[in-house]
Amino acid sequence: MVRLITHNLLACHAKGCTTNNYPLKFSNVKLALREADFNPDFLRGFLPRIEWDALVQASRERCSTTDLLKQLHHVLLETHIDEGSMTCPNCGHVYPISNGIPNMLLAEHEIG
Amino acid sequence: MPPRQYLVVFAQTHEDFRVPELRSVAELYGFPLTIPHDFDKSRPFGVLALDQEEHARFLARRCILIKAVYEFYASGRSYEELHEQNRSSRNLWEKYIPETSFKFVVNGYNHSISKARQREVIEDFSYMGFMGKIDLVSPEITMGYFEEYRDRDIHGTTSQKHEGAAVFREAFFGRLLEQGSARSLIKMFDVKKRQYFGNTSMEAEISLLMANQTLASPGKLIYDPFIGTGSLAYTTAHFGAFVFGSDIDGRQMRGKETKPGILRAATQYGVRERILDLCTFDITRNPWRCGGLFDCDHHRSSVVPPIRLPHRNPARKRHHTGICDQLRHPFAREDQPYLPPTKPYELSALAADLVVLARYLLNPGGRLVFFLPTVIDEYKELDLDSMLCDGMEVVRELAAGFRCLITIRKSTSVAYPPPTFDPQVAHGGSGSSGIDHDGEDASPASPVHAHVPAHRDFREKYFQGFKPKKPSSEEFDT
Repeated sequence: MVRLITHNLLACHAKGCTTNNYPLKFSNVKLALREADFNPDFLRGFLPRIEWDALVQASRERCSTTDLLKQLHHVLLETHIDEGSMTCPNCGHVYPISNGIPNMLLAEHEIG
Repeated sequence: MPPRQYLVVFAQTHEDFRVPELRSVAELYGFPLTIPHDFDKSRPFGVLALDQEEHARFLARRCILIKAVYEFYASGRSYEELHEQNRSSRNLWEKYIPETSFKFVVNGYNHSISKARQREVIEDFSYMGFMGKIDLVSPEITMGYFEEYRDRDIHGTTSQKHEGAAVFREAFFGRLLEQGSARSLIKMFDVKKRQYFGNTSMEAEISLLMANQTLASPGKLIYDPFIGTGSLAYTTAHFGAFVFGSDIDGRQMRGKETKPGILRAATQYGVRERILDLCTFDITRNPWRCGGLFDCDHHRSSVVPPIRLPHRNPARKRHHTGICDQLRHPFAREDQPYLPPTKPYELSALAADLVVLARYLLNPGGRLVFFLPTVIDEYKELDLDSMLCDGMEVVRELAAGFRCLITIRKSTSVAYPPPTFDPQVAHGGSGSSGIDHDGEDASPASPVHAHVPAHRDFREKYFQGFKPKKPSSEEFDT
């Protein structure tokens, strides 16, 4: 549900929070691994968009197989966060994750 | 190899979508397609010239509106004309003479031809001299003969047993190449049989037609920022694309059970793994880390996302209040105690903002596909200019009912900043709003401002029953 590919694309967007607002930190997470179809073309297309530091931080080098794309596939598409929250490293805003759907809505006073 | 002609038999619905769909599928598979000048989209039969047989098969497999594709042998306004042409196409069918098993099918458009008359028609083709076995169950080739009538009175009737030759507008003859296989998807995606749907779910056929406009195919990444109950996610994912969805109202995506409704329906269709993720947020306050995200396919440099304007429910055209007031579900969830207040969002401003947003989020060559609710009688192509911005070009637009399906392509590789969604800017002008986003366009805008797009203030027009506005000063008050 929240896969690491999504986590890699989301930044804190609260009012005035423009620096150091990425990557969001996971906490209290319930992790799940679910197999997914391997699609090398999709991954190749996505490579230039990945923020590597964020990905490494999030995945803590979980896997050690040889093929880079396979590893990426596993990390990006098969690692799901079902429950927990994501916290902005800058402003501390907490985005809760429930049943795999992160709630990125901001309250009125947080809209910039 | 010179182009061959193929007879396309269309389903009898959504005739406005026929040509746009043919064009999209041709673009998806990367082959040239010329629609002949005399192509009449209101007729159920069309003859297309294609370079390769394979291209005709691609059309049959992907076009929702195609019932079957035939290798074209002859057409005529009379039996004589048809048979004469068929004799001159001998080189196309003579290879089937010696020993190919075959069957003949005789069809009338919106009219049944009696068995006795069918046999007569078939016997008229005896000069072809097929020597092979007649096999009605599994023939090697199927020959199709179609009559199209001008007289609407005979529609829905069956011809009498001894009624002779019919007066028809045109008759067509050819060899069956492939039955359209995409049409059965309409049944498969039937909303009534879906595990999860809502009052905003889109009917299966339209969601499939829209999926074809997005050129959904394996490896592409599609984003639906108004995913709702996921109608578009299932069809685009079925064609192999990855889909990311977001909505301001998480309850729409979740439904009542623990497992989100969209994922339940996606599991039913076997596309669960291609729904990348779902997210709750307001698209005008989005958390995307950067632009240029949605694209993917390097081979066919085209792509992407149906940013969908909900088309049925005018209340949803407001920014958000509309949704909340309207869908006060009995199952608001604990994790979303906060429902953001919302503001009305004038439709032409929303449309213009979406185009700017798409320019930010799309990769070069990516596509924006959406339904624009509008007043069709007043609709003009000029309306689109009011929402376009630099670097975005209209691929095609077609008006159908109270809405217009618009496909826009990102034609620039320049990276643009994200849109501001500033209501002051959006509502500042007296006319079209999108222009105001680009400073350089704003100054010479007076002639553009003179044109008020038909979809402007659609909500108000809708509730007033589309009565023509009295020439009053109220336009200048806003």
